[in-house]
Amino acid sequence: MNAEIYLDYAATSPLDPAVAAAMSDCLAHEFGNPSSQHAAGKRARALVEAARAEVAARVGAAAERIFFTSGATEANNLALKGSLARRGARAHLVTSTIEHRSVLDAARALEQAGVAVTYVPADSLGRVAPDDVARALRAETALVSIMHVNNETGVIQDVDSIGALCRARGVPLHVDAAQSVGKVPLDVGASRIAVCSLTAHKVCGPKGVGALYVAEGVSLAPQMHGGEQEHGLRAGTLATHQVVGMGKAYALADAAREGPRLKALLDALWRRLAAIPGARLNGDPDGRAPHVLNVTFPGVEGEGLRLALRDLAVSAGSACAADSPEASHVLTGMGLSDALAASSLRFSVGRFTTEAEIERAGERVATEVDRLRALAVGAPAWCSA
Amino acid sequence: MEYTPEVVRRFDSPRRAGELQAGLPGLVSGEAEDRTLQVWVRFQLQVIDGAVRAARFAAFGCPHTIAAAGYAAEWLEGRLASDIGRLDMREVESELGVPIEKRGKLLRIEDALAACGLALNKDVTKD
Repeated sequence: MNAEIYLDYAATSPLDPAVAAAMSDCLAHEFGNPSSQHAAGKRARALVEAARAEVAARVGAAAERIFFTSGATEANNLALKGSLARRGARAHLVTSTIEHRSVLDAARALEQAGVAVTYVPADSLGRVAPDDVARALRAETALVSIMHVNNETGVIQDVDSIGALCRARGVPLHVDAAQSVGKVPLDVGASRIAVCSLTAHKVCGPKGVGALYVAEGVSLAPQMHGGEQEHGLRAGTLATHQVVGMGKAYALADAAREGPRLKALLDALWRRLAAIPGARLNGDPDGRAPHVLNVTFPGVEGEGLRLALRDLAVSAGSACAADSPEASHVLTGMGLSDALAASSLRFSVGRFTTEAEIERAGERVATEVDRLRALAVGAPAWCSA
Repeated sequence: MEYTPEVVRRFDSPRRAGELQAGLPGLVSGEAEDRTLQVWVRFQLQVIDGAVRAARFAAFGCPHTIAAAGYAAEWLEGRLASDIGRLDMREVESELGVPIEKRGKLLRIEDALAACGLALNKDVTKD
């Protein structure tokens, strides 16, 4: 059997060699605590601040507005819980039904604590309408949280419009941008984003590190206590090598340079998959990030399809939900049945994906869909619905 | 989900998959489904002089379903017609290492075989 073809960059990405080199150098030579006042600590501190500047530059922010975390999940939790913590019993949160689990589960935890939450639905193309967000706002709305690029479908939400309406109503907008950097342009100021979650491992950086952009004037209640790191917002000794890795990854992640190549790869894959009878693209065909493709193959049982394609590293739903037998809440939120959602695969490409891999993946999918459909010859109509 | 090598082998290269030729003498068919479990199974058997001369299966379902349906079709071919419905699904579960949560799917295979038996009895009664 050929080596596995990795098409799951939306789950995580391989470490760029330049990022690995920067991290190794840091690990080998700069072990100081960046909070310490001696020379070793100051050298580590300098590396942290250089990385902070790289992250800030990539999203159009001032460096002092970037706060490092352990990843986007922590950043999302800090954004939601930190925003609502100080707003009392009548606080209200607006989010969507198709957010990442780290936002939805944080929202549900807040609901259990008494916060009112409105979940704005997406349409059949996976888009959250700004007008629907506007209609959900109340006098006591403390935060709106809408992701920029959906991790399962690649659909890009209109955060510019949502940011404008939030600004007009005096409500902070939180954007989960874990899938954005290096794929689509992101400017937190221009989009009027108040709080923005970022991660490193989707752009060939290390896992275990992320960041939260917090606009000036926005106050969040810390969720981790025990030190004054990150200006008291997020206690805990920074993992300097991780932060260095994130900085280097962000320095290399250029959406203008990488985006067109990624789009060409996925367009080629979709052309091949679209030739499979009944194959359906999930999500807005026009408003999508260049690196994610979600396709349903009716008439093919999902678990069987995944085993048949075990030489392809792809996802059914998000990696965070890989162990869950439940259908993708994003796809069902767009109107797919549980069965069709289970018969869907997410393909996501990145920096090291090759044209040969795309061609091979397209052939493999076509072959196995044909084979599994042939095994189900004579199956009733519901097997394809 | 983990799969035993036997399940993977039967899923990758199923034997007795497909359809028997329409109009074949002694052809009986039986199927069962469970939409909640996302399972549909059909068996086609050619029964001549009380013996299963040929057996084929078609299935929509998980790898365990396909492997078990193929196992059943292989087991049946060459046996007596009176053996239809005698395949112990616990034996299939054990042989293939089917996890307990998939037991409901194996019961649909049992139902499809039972439907074959009913169809055969109906044909015999008609005769």
